[in-house]
Amino acid sequence: MIVADKKPIEEIIEYLKDHTNILVLGCNECVTVCEAGGKKEVAVLASTLRMHAQKEGKEIKIDEVTLERQCDKEYLDEIRDVIDQYDAVVSLACGVGVQFTAEQYHSTQVYPGVNTCFMGATEERGLWTERCQGCGQCILATTGSICPVSRCAKRLFNGPCGGSTDGRCEINAEVDCAWQLIVDRLKALDKLDEYEKLCPLKDWSTDRAGGPRKVVREDVQQ
Amino acid sequence: MSVKTPSKLEKILSEGHLAVTSECGPPRGSNAEHIIKKAELIKDHVDAINITDNQTSMTRLCSLASCIRLKLMGLEPVLQMVTRDRNRIALQSDILGAASFDIHNILCLSGDHQSFGDCAQGQNVHDIDSIQLIQAVRHMRDEGKFLGGDDLDGKPQMFVGAAANPFADPFEIRVPRLAKKIAAGVEFIQTQCIYNLDKFEEWMKGVRDRGLHEKVYILAGMTPMKSVGMAKYMQKRVPGMDVPDEIIKRLQGVEKDQQAAEGIKICVEAMQRLKEVEGVAGFHVMAIEWEEKVPEIVEAAGLHPRPKVD
Amino acid sequence: MGCLEGDCHFNNGNLMARRRVEQAQKILDSIDIGGERVKMYNLSSSEGPRFAQYAAEFTEKINALGPNPIKLAKNKAAVDPATRDMAETN
Repeated sequence: MIVADKKPIEEIIEYLKDHTNILVLGCNECVTVCEAGGKKEVAVLASTLRMHAQKEGKEIKIDEVTLERQCDKEYLDEIRDVIDQYDAVVSLACGVGVQFTAEQYHSTQVYPGVNTCFMGATEERGLWTERCQGCGQCILATTGSICPVSRCAKRLFNGPCGGSTDGRCEINAEVDCAWQLIVDRLKALDKLDEYEKLCPLKDWSTDRAGGPRKVVREDVQQ
Repeated sequence: MSVKTPSKLEKILSEGHLAVTSECGPPRGSNAEHIIKKAELIKDHVDAINITDNQTSMTRLCSLASCIRLKLMGLEPVLQMVTRDRNRIALQSDILGAASFDIHNILCLSGDHQSFGDCAQGQNVHDIDSIQLIQAVRHMRDEGKFLGGDDLDGKPQMFVGAAANPFADPFEIRVPRLAKKIAAGVEFIQTQCIYNLDKFEEWMKGVRDRGLHEKVYILAGMTPMKSVGMAKYMQKRVPGMDVPDEIIKRLQGVEKDQQAAEGIKICVEAMQRLKEVEGVAGFHVMAIEWEEKVPEIVEAAGLHPRPKVD
Repeated sequence: MGCLEGDCHFNNGNLMARRRVEQAQKILDSIDIGGERVKMYNLSSSEGPRFAQYAAEFTEKINALGPNPIKLAKNKAAVDPATRDMAETN
């Protein structure tokens, strides 16, 4: 899923300083799972903003809505009738949701309430770690299902580098060396001889480098 | 092995001599005097001089310009090139730039992560990795083509090197990794500095068992310890470095003002031992910010004067 | 107020409550209202006198802290500028 983290409250307060009618808009999917932008977090943020406003002697109206997700028009349509009541929206969805909400509501200010971080998994409650950077040409079949693009700090295709120590990356002893993991997995799969295969140069044109990307599926388009 | 380039280093190795290389770190500014001074200190005791490429990610005068300085002094440079900071366009471009100044040696590296240096907030590139860079240089040299497929006007005549670290983990793939670099086209290797001689010899045995020592020239990396403090720092804080406790104990066993001399002694003894190891084709003496000791070390190891080649 | 730790009738409701109190303290600190205005005490339901003691202790503490910033802001707004001069001369 997309993993996000809460933005510091001071930042959000700064965005909203000239606004008096605010909608805090949550999302029921990824940001709910990583406890950054779901219904609960919407309620806490709204309450915090109200208390802050009262302390400052400001009159302010803050409403709370959580949509199923903010990356599909059918759910964003659910607030079409009420959106004009607000002069600002704080969206706690990932960067996709913030932008898509703004696209549907062109003349409403939509501010981000979380920092979107990466595509990752829940290792345990409160710990989410990165697994994928969306390079567009998945090579997991050749690396024992461990991604060198997202998990190697130097995204080496023929790793490890000379800084790998005790299975950890040179940048931080808490970070696994992706190539140690790959070697261990190839061993477990009895495929260690594949280690010596030279990996060809990466085609980054399907990655961020090629520009904003799209996927088109004519077989399902209407 | 016959020579494929005008490289003086390649020539010396092909004639069966033990080669000696060293390295200089460029200055943290545009003052070329530093490079010139360091090169002057060592020039009569080495066959080629590596110039590091923004080592430990500290921004410095670039390796290419420093190598040109050495060429202007009539010396033989080894251009170190990391893949951290340049994409494949810039890498190919700099290779051609070096070749245009008759720089005939290149060392292909990944590079230390930028979080170690002075621009930890910067982007890194890693468009291709060090092994793919080896392939790229060989492709440009031998096929005369760019990676994109077009012909290039003037093939870079480069003797291609890479690094090897027998002391990094996982140990079990350190010989396969050398095999990989050889398959990619590497022609000479400079190892990480060696303190654990037993482990290095174990790696060399694995190398010989696969006949790899006959496919690549291996230069053993040597760095003299200046002090107990340096030895402890290297042991604890440098990734991929193996410093046995005996080294530290030996340095602790002498007076403080004798530690540097003892460090040099340890280095020279190691070189004497490694000269006898089959497959060791020479030494890469790295005495960063201590370049003035290189002549003494090379002489004490019985490697001076250096052979003359045309 | 929560049960003594290790002694909760509902297993670890008191531990979850402690976590929530800590979160509330952080939030109140982040907007300068003061996390010290919320506190967790642990005791068993039979400890009547101790309950009274904690209640008194906290009441004293809160009184010493004075009105919270929200109350102060509301009071300030409630003082109508038109009547202020009269209030001061009386």
